[in-house]
Amino acid sequence: MLNANSAAPAAPTPQNILDTATRLRWEVSGGVHESLVEAIYTDAARIADRAVIYPDKPPRFNLDRAIDQIVTSRLFGFPLMLLLFTLVFWLTISGANVPSDLLGRFFLDTIHPLLKSASAAIGLPWWLDGLLIDGIYLATAWVVSVMLPPMAIFFPLFTLLEDFGYLPRVAFNLDNIFKKSGAHGKQALSMMMGFGCNAAGVVATRVIDSPRERLIAIITNNFALCNGRWPTQILIASLFIGALVPAYIGGLISALAVVGVATLGVLLSFAVSWSLSRTVLRGEASTFSLELPPYRPPRFWQTIYTSLIDRTLYVLWRAIVFAAPAGAIIWLTANIQVGGISIAEHIINALNPVGWLLGLNGVILLAYIVAIPANEIVIPTMLMMTVLITGVNGGAGAGVMFQGNDAQTMSMLQAGGWTLLTAVNLMLFSLIHNPCSTTIYTIYKETGSAKWTAVSALLPLIMGFVVTFLVAQVWRLVAGM
Amino acid sequence: MNEPAILLIISLVCIGVALWLFWPDRGLFWRWQRARQMTERVLIEDALKHMYAYEEQGRHPTLESLAGALRTSDDTIANLLTAMQERELITLTAGNASLTTRGRDYALHIIRAHRLWESYLASKTGYDAADWHSQSEWREHELSPTDTNALAAELGHPRFDPHGDPIPTAEGEIVDRQDQQQLAQLRLNQPARIVHLEDEPQTVYAQLLAEGLHLGMQIIVIERTEQRIRFWGDGEEHVLAPLLANNVSVTPIQRDEVESGPFHSLDSLVRGESAQVTRISPRLQGAERRRLLDLGILPGTEIKAEMVSPSGDPTAYRVRGALIGLRKEQAAMIQIRSQDAPYEDAPHQGASPKDDYDEAAFVHAQNGEVSAAKKGELA
Repeated sequence: MLNANSAAPAAPTPQNILDTATRLRWEVSGGVHESLVEAIYTDAARIADRAVIYPDKPPRFNLDRAIDQIVTSRLFGFPLMLLLFTLVFWLTISGANVPSDLLGRFFLDTIHPLLKSASAAIGLPWWLDGLLIDGIYLATAWVVSVMLPPMAIFFPLFTLLEDFGYLPRVAFNLDNIFKKSGAHGKQALSMMMGFGCNAAGVVATRVIDSPRERLIAIITNNFALCNGRWPTQILIASLFIGALVPAYIGGLISALAVVGVATLGVLLSFAVSWSLSRTVLRGEASTFSLELPPYRPPRFWQTIYTSLIDRTLYVLWRAIVFAAPAGAIIWLTANIQVGGISIAEHIINALNPVGWLLGLNGVILLAYIVAIPANEIVIPTMLMMTVLITGVNGGAGAGVMFQGNDAQTMSMLQAGGWTLLTAVNLMLFSLIHNPCSTTIYTIYKETGSAKWTAVSALLPLIMGFVVTFLVAQVWRLVAGM
Repeated sequence: MNEPAILLIISLVCIGVALWLFWPDRGLFWRWQRARQMTERVLIEDALKHMYAYEEQGRHPTLESLAGALRTSDDTIANLLTAMQERELITLTAGNASLTTRGRDYALHIIRAHRLWESYLASKTGYDAADWHSQSEWREHELSPTDTNALAAELGHPRFDPHGDPIPTAEGEIVDRQDQQQLAQLRLNQPARIVHLEDEPQTVYAQLLAEGLHLGMQIIVIERTEQRIRFWGDGEEHVLAPLLANNVSVTPIQRDEVESGPFHSLDSLVRGESAQVTRISPRLQGAERRRLLDLGILPGTEIKAEMVSPSGDPTAYRVRGALIGLRKEQAAMIQIRSQDAPYEDAPHQGASPKDDYDEAAFVHAQNGEVSAAKKGELA
């Protein structure tokens, strides 16, 4: 190239330099860019090899390799993984019960009446008292007491596993299954995180460096049944499905039903990954590599601290920001009356026909609309509205969310016309519907694209409508015969 | 018949109709959209491309050849030719249509847009090689000259599209490759390099891809009969029917340019074995190639297969002290030389011993300069 250049006219003007360049560009052998990049990298590697001195390591027992042999072995790899994750979930569920209960009692049974009497003492008008204390305060307190304990246990445990270096090995073990559905092995990790919270799961997809696989992981994260939806599943399963069998196996059957729904979620996320990678995401660029970092002892306190700040409080804060206005809206819809009945009742009446087609009812649909900010408040909202509609005893007043014991709840729901079909479809719909607003907002922040945010929000919603509709019709057909 | 059954049937019909309408590529909606795009402008542009290709080959485009290429009737073409003449894109004399300068420039723009878009798909997206052509077939009509120039700048002004066809410049210059010939005409035992793979018809192109042929591949024909052409390439024997071989163009190379084997790919490495990387296959382009370079997988790098996932894939390799999991398809793109068989002793596979190829020589030269500079700095 240089030789050819020197053959150009003696006094080069800018114009004939350009001409020469244009002529010569066809003569350069193919792939110059690639060769240049490769040469630069090779140079860098050689310089590093020459300049960097590695300490002579005495031959020692290689602990990393020994651990890797076990955690990725054909025999122990999968059982070990299953064991560890079961342990994490068990610790989360059993460990969160007590603090959740304490927080609930504190915020809902102690502070709430105190606030009510305080506002009565200073003579707040009833509507302001209702809006602020029964609406905004109660919704926020509810979200905090249900959400905080499991997340404060789950996230640090998960972060410890991550810090130790085990999670990349899980991705390594599971990659083949994910590959078959066009996804990345690391989606296993964001999915696990999604069982804690979908918003955190979406953030966790940052570890996936391939654009296409990352989008798949983000869009399908919603199919991991999050912490906010487990209580709905457990309550409905134990009330309706556990009640189908004798009491002594009722607990087991309802637990199986919940696990079944969670498993259905995992299968759906594979199916949706598969179809996404073959349709709308076909053209997105994809690169695969999976770094397996060396093991290191987790820095325990630092991990606890950062996971509490980065993940738990971050997610909690966003949930609060969205839950407070939702509380206001719930209270307002239940208390503003138009033509003798509240707005909530108008909406429920309007939604009832649609609800019937889907094997649900207007109350459930309205609850899912106002509970977009946080799935945690679906059950209390539903109970409050059922009481509002049916007028049965037991409620805490219009717009005031509450949760009673199982027997009370059951009788209220039956008064609201609930059947086994309603329960099954509610469980399905709770799994397959749009993500909560915190997650939607996180998806928007992570993808920076309104298009993919809309796909992630609407795809599961439409799927949920289709699934519940089909189940309802088949159910009625079979029951009617 | 009760109500749920009716609703169920209605909904199933709705789902069926929706699938029928929106099934990727073959759905009625997409077909309708494509048909709608078949406006006069698109037809004119396709006709210009066809006429340009024929004139390049020294043939005369006819009404029949146009109707065949555009998959439409003779009547439509007759009207089309009149419209093109009115726009001074072609001249019609004695039943022969030929391109005017304006028509030629227009045709070159379309070709430029098509080939740039193919380059874009190859280097920036995840579409399969088999999809590049068909995607560009409709995209070429949507790119204005400004878009095309912006695209060229973004891609670093590529000179050849991923099939090896030259991309016309914005000024309408296009290189004429005199040095290439068809694989079917290549002399026996003459080393050559593949410089072009024809992308039409698609089924033929798909077969070439399936055979593992790629641009830059070095080949030597070892047998040629009426029925087949047998040749070496990338350390494997390939067989093509002459019809397929006509769609492959090669350029002869000197014997001392030939890379010798043995050609192994990383996926053949058994757990516990080490090897040295010789190169990343030219088949791997764009983001995926850069990713491997980022990880430090370069010619000369030591690499060791350390563990295999219990599900069989991926395999973790030790590269420069780091442990990196790669899938089988990726490992197949990395060519290696096994350590216990140094390559001087390696059996030659129908080729002379390898001299350092261009890039490596370049690297050596660069390296000399770098170390000299470093000495200067230290002194």
